[in-house]
Amino acid sequence: MPMSRRTLAALALAALVLPLSACGSGGDGGGSGDASGKVEGDITFQTWNLRANYKDYFEDLIADFEKKYPGTHVKWVDQPAEGYADKISADAAAGTLPDVVNVSPDLLAPLAKAGLATDLDKAAAQYEKEYLPGAWDGQRIPGLPGTYAFPWYLNTGPMFYNKELFEKAGLDPDKPPTTYDALFADALQMAKKSKGKVATLGNVPTIEDFGRYGASLMNKDGTAFTFNDAKGVELLTKYKQLYDAKALDPQALTATPESTGKKFLTGAVAMNPGSALDLENFKKQAPSLYKNIGITDQITNTGHVNMYVMGLMVNAGTKHTPAAIAFAHFVTDAENQMAFAKKVAIFPSTAGSLDDPYFTKEDGTDVTRVRVAAAKSLKTAVNYTPVLFSDQMKTALRNEVAKALQGKESPKAALDNAVKACDRLLKQQG
Amino acid sequence: MASSTVSRTHPPRPAGRPAARPARRVRRHLPTSPWLFAAPGLLVTAVFVLYPFVSTVIDAFTDRRTLVPGHFVGLANFRELLHDDMFWTGLRNSVLYVAGTVPALVVLPLLLALLVRKNIPGITFFRSAFYTPVVASIVVVGLIWVWLLDERGLVNSLLQTIGVGRIGFLSDQWLLLVSAMAVTVWKGLGYYMIIYLAALAGVPRELHEAAAVDGAGAVRRFLTVTVPAVRSTMILVAALSSVAAFKVFSEVYLMAGPDGGPAGEDTTLVMLVQRTGTGLTGRVGYASAISLVVFAVTVILMLLVLRADRREDV
Repeated sequence: MPMSRRTLAALALAALVLPLSACGSGGDGGGSGDASGKVEGDITFQTWNLRANYKDYFEDLIADFEKKYPGTHVKWVDQPAEGYADKISADAAAGTLPDVVNVSPDLLAPLAKAGLATDLDKAAAQYEKEYLPGAWDGQRIPGLPGTYAFPWYLNTGPMFYNKELFEKAGLDPDKPPTTYDALFADALQMAKKSKGKVATLGNVPTIEDFGRYGASLMNKDGTAFTFNDAKGVELLTKYKQLYDAKALDPQALTATPESTGKKFLTGAVAMNPGSALDLENFKKQAPSLYKNIGITDQITNTGHVNMYVMGLMVNAGTKHTPAAIAFAHFVTDAENQMAFAKKVAIFPSTAGSLDDPYFTKEDGTDVTRVRVAAAKSLKTAVNYTPVLFSDQMKTALRNEVAKALQGKESPKAALDNAVKACDRLLKQQG
Repeated sequence: MASSTVSRTHPPRPAGRPAARPARRVRRHLPTSPWLFAAPGLLVTAVFVLYPFVSTVIDAFTDRRTLVPGHFVGLANFRELLHDDMFWTGLRNSVLYVAGTVPALVVLPLLLALLVRKNIPGITFFRSAFYTPVVASIVVVGLIWVWLLDERGLVNSLLQTIGVGRIGFLSDQWLLLVSAMAVTVWKGLGYYMIIYLAALAGVPRELHEAAAVDGAGAVRRFLTVTVPAVRSTMILVAALSSVAAFKVFSEVYLMAGPDGGPAGEDTTLVMLVQRTGTGLTGRVGYASAISLVVFAVTVILMLLVLRADRREDV
């Protein structure tokens, strides 16, 4: 029977529209945030670049959870480090966000604002006392009541330096700089002695540098940025002096942490921030550097080092809220965080864990020296990355800093412009 | 007349044999048949081209963000574009990219094709060698060039050896853009060379012979015989390469970094779309407005090239 033109048109339209319906956001009518029900069901757990090195740890962890709560099944997915925010945003927009997601506070903020993160102050307030107060507070979003992720591991990084390059520049390799003023003086001397061939630093100042230098980053309400204050301008002015003297690498304006790390390995840069994990890397990739490696605290004028906080967010749209909350708590409880800390150079965010002898007693090796020093500094550490500081804001700051370093704008004008751009972006975020 | 009558009469049936089954008539195709054949392609186009395009056009008039649906804002995004310094930087760089790469990509592959079309021993090796960059991954190519042009890379080491000193290929705004253009040209040479080889195969040998008899030298023959003969191919290459150059992303991203060079001064329009519209706080509406501008300029470029082609034909 010949098909009528109208039927054909209807079929074509259906064929066009039906696949598109899959593009809309799904997952409506998800979890209510009520964790009081039975812990059961299938949940998905997403980590951030952890499978390659810690596969066994997570598989055992999941097996333990499933044993503790029969009737649960955890599917573990791991995403590569690069493009992690894009992956989360694609999943969030498509309504396919996993039930438990590994996030940093800056990733958490837009998800919480969009109503995609479960408020733990309502759903799991009983667990708050298990964590360090600063770590729990680190999962709050300015301007939004509630706490939106379980604090997971904390990290801070020491500053590595090349003792051989320090010695060649006439600097004492056993007395590395610990404040910005000392750093700038040493860097200028290094550039002068090496005739501009060795830069002390390889990256332009970040928002964390402004924080550690003593600049105020945001107002108390979290509604406007303030890093263009006198301290901020002073820091950028000093960086400009370093750049002109080649004490800051000439390619710093386009550098990434990875590219600067490579320059540190080749001795083109004398100091670089890192973590205890990097020691193994130096040993393998640059044995001659490893012999001359010096380790010191993060450079700071405030007495506080920067702390990086990881969290586990429970998707507000999960169909199995009790299981998702139980699992996120299980992964981040004191016992499991301690077990993870013994596998990798991270620090637990649970109360009292940092007093464990593992974090307080040295055994004479560099690894334990870094660990003990980092654990000690973590007790007073501050998360200098404002939670609302988005990728676009980071780019705006880097661009204005680059203009100041090139002499296209004064440090004051550059920071004023950066603050203006960041405030505009903040307003647009809503 | 008689022949047509004969052709219509059936041949006489041999006596004693049963009547043959009438030949199976070929059914006329349904009017829907072409659509059914085209349906898979149309569906893919609708889902992956048409829908995103329409969606982008709609989003360009909203303040949509990655996780927030957004509201209709009229021409606000386009008004903001006019006052956005980074947009003008992106537009300038994209236009410069077209101006810097297209002439090279129209002329150099033609010269290369003339070189490798000769059948001399070992020429296959050179043809393959010139084509290799085309099949190489742009990421690998980009990284290799970054290593070569680094402050401590091979090129700067050579320059230092001959006393020129280090050149900041990857730290100077303009040198960075020129370096990225050089990579685009180097990578595209082989592709356009193949197109020219096909066109050159169609140029009659007699024309060259006649010109040679008339005393035309190699350069004269190139200008008066080869170029007019492959003119339409040159226009095709100009069209393809200008659209690709205007939409450049990978080369600049890999060499200038995600920020688009120092202070973002090497940002191209497509990089700006990526930077503005992606991530959890991406401004999808604004990025869509920039995309529409890229689309409009691309269409204008194509029209200009087609117009040039038509004018030449007259």
